[in-house]
Amino acid sequence: MTTQKDDWGQLLLAANAGDGAAYTRFLRAVTPVLRGVVRARGGSLGHAICEDVVQEVLLAIHLKRHTWEPGAPVRPWLYAITRYKVVDAFRARGRGIDLPIEDFTDILAADPGQDPTEAADMDKMIGLLDDRSARIVRKIGLEGASVGETGQALAMTEGAVRVALHRALKHLAILRERHIK
Amino acid sequence: MNTDDLIRALTADARPRAPARAVLWRGLLPSLCVAFLAVWLVLGLRADLAEALVRPVSVARIVLTAALAVVGLRLALRLARPEGRRGARLWPLAALAAVAAGLLVWAYVATPAEARQMAFAGKTITQCLVSIPLLAILPVAAILATLRHGAPTAPRLASAVAGLAGSGAAAAIYALHCTEDSPLFYVTWYGLAICGVTLAAALIGPRLLRW
Repeated sequence: MTTQKDDWGQLLLAANAGDGAAYTRFLRAVTPVLRGVVRARGGSLGHAICEDVVQEVLLAIHLKRHTWEPGAPVRPWLYAITRYKVVDAFRARGRGIDLPIEDFTDILAADPGQDPTEAADMDKMIGLLDDRSARIVRKIGLEGASVGETGQALAMTEGAVRVALHRALKHLAILRERHIK
Repeated sequence: MNTDDLIRALTADARPRAPARAVLWRGLLPSLCVAFLAVWLVLGLRADLAEALVRPVSVARIVLTAALAVVGLRLALRLARPEGRRGARLWPLAALAAVAAGLLVWAYVATPAEARQMAFAGKTITQCLVSIPLLAILPVAAILATLRHGAPTAPRLASAVAGLAGSGAAAAIYALHCTEDSPLFYVTWYGLAICGVTLAAALIGPRLLRW
């Protein structure tokens, strides 16, 4: 457990310094744990809705990753964000849930299951973005294009793509909140 | 879009972002400068400022309000972190309130009975109750903006702390103009102004701090 914690700290430290590979590893490492937490709390809603919530939490972690203080333990930080967003997400879906969890340490990581593409909310939200933002998010996310390739395809500089992507992700978080209300 | 796709999109946006501390100073320093200039150019510094700054009773209000600002800012930076609510210490705020209350009691006892009413009412209650909240607007806004950049999980508390810290700073700056040196006046009326700003921040803030 301790080694895993230290590991997450190092990955997040590198990620926050701009290391994309470390960031990918960090998000991949925490996702099954988040999924376990979400399913433990809202399993009765079905895996698809749970996966929507997992994605919502991931988006929040992404947009707030700078609030982690280097050197501080990662888990309390991660769980605080998760708790806040999970409560919010289930409340917004008409399912008030109680998260009296001090720590999620007893929760086992969950596999995505046979069809992780079930999550549908994110696609709806992306559809609400302006055309160019939606294309950027889809190109990088679904097609796996790099920022450079996306720039070439859309006749934008890499810097402009990065700025637009960041704005799009921020906007997605706002849209989710509004849409779900 | 499945979760792996989302992670790919997220990690493509890996540019480092500013920590809360940097955002706070970027917003707070200019707002404090504006507040100071407003006091200096519009209200004017008190003529006997140099003497007042060495008189303990007079300087106590600057020390107290500045301490409130410092304690509040530290607390706000903590509450800007999602896990900050746990282990956030509120007792320094209570200690400052206790010192202010003690000062008020001391002044009540030390002031002759016939002079109390005058010391309490002073001459500038209205100006004090208007100026401090006005001067507090920008600093409080700067602190709320920092919280918004962060991820507060106790938005009401964080907003109230922003109100306390910002109005504390505003009161410390206003004290450079104000010549009411009796704690009977300043603990009461500065205190009321600070409480008003804090209440307003606690009411407005949570709506701004959703994430």
